[in-house]
Amino acid sequence: MFAAPRRDFLNEPAPENYVPGLGRGATGFTTRSDIGPAREGPSEDAIKAALAKRAEALENGEAADEDDEERFRDNENDEGLFASGTYDEDDEEADRIYKEVDDRMDSRRRARREAREKREEEEYELKNPKMSKQFADLKRALSTVSDYEWASIPEVGDLTGRNRRGRQLLQQERRFYAVPDSVLASRGPAAYDNAVDRGEGTTSSVDGTITDFRQISEAKDKMLGMRLDQAGTDSVSGSTNIDPKGYLTSLSSTIARNDEISNIAKNRELLMSVVKTDPKHANGWIAIAKLEEQANRLSAARRLIQQGCDNCPKNEDVWLENMRLNQPAHAKIIAAKAVQNLPRSVKLWLEAMKLEGDIIARKRVVRKALENIPQSVTLWKEAVNLEESPANAKILLARAVDLIPLSVDLWLALARLETDENARKVLNKARQAVRTSHEIWIAAAKLEENAGNASRVEIVIKKGIAELQRRGGMLERDQWITEAEKCEREGAVVTCQAIIRSTLGQGLEEEDQEAIWLDDARNSVARGCYETARAIYAYALRVFPTVQVLWREATNLEKQHGTRESLFGVLESAVEACPTSKDLWLLYSKEKLTISDLEGARLVLSRAFEHNPNDEDIWLAAVDIEAENNQHARARVLLSRARQEAGTERVWIKSVVLERQLKDSVAALELVNQCLHEYPTSAKAWMMKGQIYEVENRISQAREAYISGTKSCPKSVTLWLLLSRLEESQHVIIRSRSVLERAALANPKSPELWLERIRVEKRANNINQARNLVAKALQECPTSGSIWAESVSMEPRTQRKPRLISGLKTCENDPILIAAIARLFWSERRADKAKSWFEKVIKADSDIGDHWAMMYKFLENYGTEEERNDLMSKFIAADPHHGEAWTKVMKDVNNFGKSKDELLQLAASQMSP
Amino acid sequence: MGSVFLPHLKTGWHVDQAIMTEEERLVVIRFGRDWDEQCMRMDELLYRIADRVKNFAVIYVCDIDEVPDFNKMYELYDPCTVMFFFRNKHMMCDFGTGNNNKINWVLEDKQELIDIIETIYKGAKKGRGLVISPKDYSTKYRY
Repeated sequence: MFAAPRRDFLNEPAPENYVPGLGRGATGFTTRSDIGPAREGPSEDAIKAALAKRAEALENGEAADEDDEERFRDNENDEGLFASGTYDEDDEEADRIYKEVDDRMDSRRRARREAREKREEEEYELKNPKMSKQFADLKRALSTVSDYEWASIPEVGDLTGRNRRGRQLLQQERRFYAVPDSVLASRGPAAYDNAVDRGEGTTSSVDGTITDFRQISEAKDKMLGMRLDQAGTDSVSGSTNIDPKGYLTSLSSTIARNDEISNIAKNRELLMSVVKTDPKHANGWIAIAKLEEQANRLSAARRLIQQGCDNCPKNEDVWLENMRLNQPAHAKIIAAKAVQNLPRSVKLWLEAMKLEGDIIARKRVVRKALENIPQSVTLWKEAVNLEESPANAKILLARAVDLIPLSVDLWLALARLETDENARKVLNKARQAVRTSHEIWIAAAKLEENAGNASRVEIVIKKGIAELQRRGGMLERDQWITEAEKCEREGAVVTCQAIIRSTLGQGLEEEDQEAIWLDDARNSVARGCYETARAIYAYALRVFPTVQVLWREATNLEKQHGTRESLFGVLESAVEACPTSKDLWLLYSKEKLTISDLEGARLVLSRAFEHNPNDEDIWLAAVDIEAENNQHARARVLLSRARQEAGTERVWIKSVVLERQLKDSVAALELVNQCLHEYPTSAKAWMMKGQIYEVENRISQAREAYISGTKSCPKSVTLWLLLSRLEESQHVIIRSRSVLERAALANPKSPELWLERIRVEKRANNINQARNLVAKALQECPTSGSIWAESVSMEPRTQRKPRLISGLKTCENDPILIAAIARLFWSERRADKAKSWFEKVIKADSDIGDHWAMMYKFLENYGTEEERNDLMSKFIAADPHHGEAWTKVMKDVNNFGKSKDELLQLAASQMSP
Repeated sequence: MGSVFLPHLKTGWHVDQAIMTEEERLVVIRFGRDWDEQCMRMDELLYRIADRVKNFAVIYVCDIDEVPDFNKMYELYDPCTVMFFFRNKHMMCDFGTGNNNKINWVLEDKQELIDIIETIYKGAKKGRGLVISPKDYSTKYRY
């Protein structure tokens, strides 16, 4: 705040023309209206007088009180900064120019600006009207009020108390009590009795206080009756037929209807006036009849609709409504009248036919109808449906197609009834009659197929398509596919294939074809039409024989929905079409193996070699086959050939692995050394070398192997880990620590290394050091689930859950962390929660074998046999390859040759919550 | 006697200056006439507490016959009126008398007056415009 200089004002004289309170901006107050004037600052007179005085003083050139000037000056305004300077001509000119500029600026858009300002002002005033303006008109009117009127304005008085009293009175009035019968009886027993005795319509009203009980009870009876009627309207036999399920819903509808009772009376009047003003308007009659029907006045409804029929005999709706409202016996008479009036109405004839009970009568009605309307397809169909014997139906249809040659349905129906030979003739005739119908062509094709002329089917379809293209009526591709699927469902496979063959390529760009066909086939498979899909693939593969995707899809289709023969047929043709595709070859051999056709698989692979010499995948596949079937000698021979012909790293590694599996460590060592000679940077080879030594307990050699391995491939984390573990197994923790530190230098931000460092400390019982490391590790790799899981396991039990939650936030959906949660629940013996979390883990990543093993172990404790078997089958389908414990079990030389379920059980036995 | 020792505000300007220049303390002004019996009693009381409240309040007296400028504005119709200002703001205090603007009766107890001044000062420092008096005077004094 701008602080005014403190001074000893008490000893100073007051400025002469000072207005007390003005400089301070003081405002007064009003405590009580009877002792002082309204709120105000310094009085107006005082201000005026002071201003006049000041003006006088200025005029006289007297210097005003400087203190005051300074005091009341706006401290932000620097006016007078140059007040000491002299005002010369230049200044004057400058001022003039500035003034001109100002004027000019002011004159620009003046009209518009002023208009705008005015408008804004008006708007503002409209929004915030002054009090005086608001009541201006009323005030003006006040001038006419005479003195007497002024005097007679009533005092306001105390309203509040009176209001409260009023309210209380009102509340008391609202309180009602049931008047006991005794009071009523004692008041007017005669009137009460009379009311009951008297006839309908007379209300007793002796003094207006007596209630007419009779009327009320009558009304109640009426309502009850109505409700009962509605509940029983649709019961024909007279027994109640209340559906217990639908009862509530029907109740709600009845309630709605009861609400409508008053509406019905109103609507009735309205509709009556409608039909009176325009009796030729059929809808009015129908509406009023329906209304009466709703109000349960059936006789009135019938009468009204009959009037309607009389008034508009040419409207079929009125007649139909009339028939509906009447009993069947009566309706027949009405129907007869109706068809007399409207002999060409198909609807009326059909209704009339439906009214007849027995077939013969119906036939008679239909015949009559056909005499009147021979062109109605519906009537003809009805007539044919009524015939029992095919011969009669045939005759009818023959007549029908004569009369209506354009109805495809009738033609097809006729063809269906005829023998093959005749059907062909019928269809030929139909074709001539209806030249644009694809149905007839397809029917013809199906006919050929049924007759066993499969070769003719193709010709018929081809001809049909050519014809349709010429005459118009050609379908779209998609529609043809749907037709083909329809044929397949009806069992006409050859027709289906023929349709696909002739129409699949229709109207497609060259480059889109492959994708669209793939889509079509997949859609057909999804709809369960495998033959159609097969036909689509066959066609597509004829056009694109070298596209592997198509072959693979076709193989999948056969595998899932076809027979073994058809599968191998497809595979055979696939490898013939693309002999250089190793994927297809491998697929072929795998399929052979699944049916345990070892010779066949070997044969396939040898054929693959012919086309793809020196391909490592095929070599390795061949080796795998031999090794898995315990043909070790053959496998060795194969591998040695492979090493010579395609000496890739993988082949070498595979050879070493084979030797290790056969426990021939000398040969394995030799091979490893050769391999390292060829590929000195192969981390896997170094690992294996070290492991071979380790197994033989030649620790120093193993260490040497690992160390030289880490030198040649410093980026291989696994190699470092192996080295560290080797040192640890010799109880040289210090060395293992230093190894890990060096590894961390070479591979920063590697969660595996951090995890190992933490675990080394934990195993050495250095919990504090381990904690430090966890904190550091989390700083470096904050999104690693494994480190989080480790940190959680180190927390005390109560802290684990919050720790897990914060971990889940930073690395969401990390399977290892989710597994940690599941294990937490497991350890707390909350089986159902643990199970659901285990399922989540498997869903998040099904490639980690540890989790499968963990879940298996969990199910051993808490699950059923079924669940375990289910898990096992899922596990075999997922075929995981990762996970710490799992890889160890999987790659253990001792476990070679064991099946997957054995391996899982083995891994599970090592698990704990 | 007290009125002799209390600083007098001679004109409206002095009143305004007294209210405006005080930055830190509460300004207490007694409006009235020095010869009035009630004023004399009030002045005596004010003088006796002046030294004890000097850290947070400054006390002036003002003759409403000499300075009639505020009579209308502040409704100075009673023989003795005490008003409070803080940083050029009129401070109100709910005494329970129905008039929150001023003390227009004569207090008898020193401690009561000190309490009132202190309460108003505390409220003013907190930015309040109206404070509640530590004691309710509605029953004791007519107004």
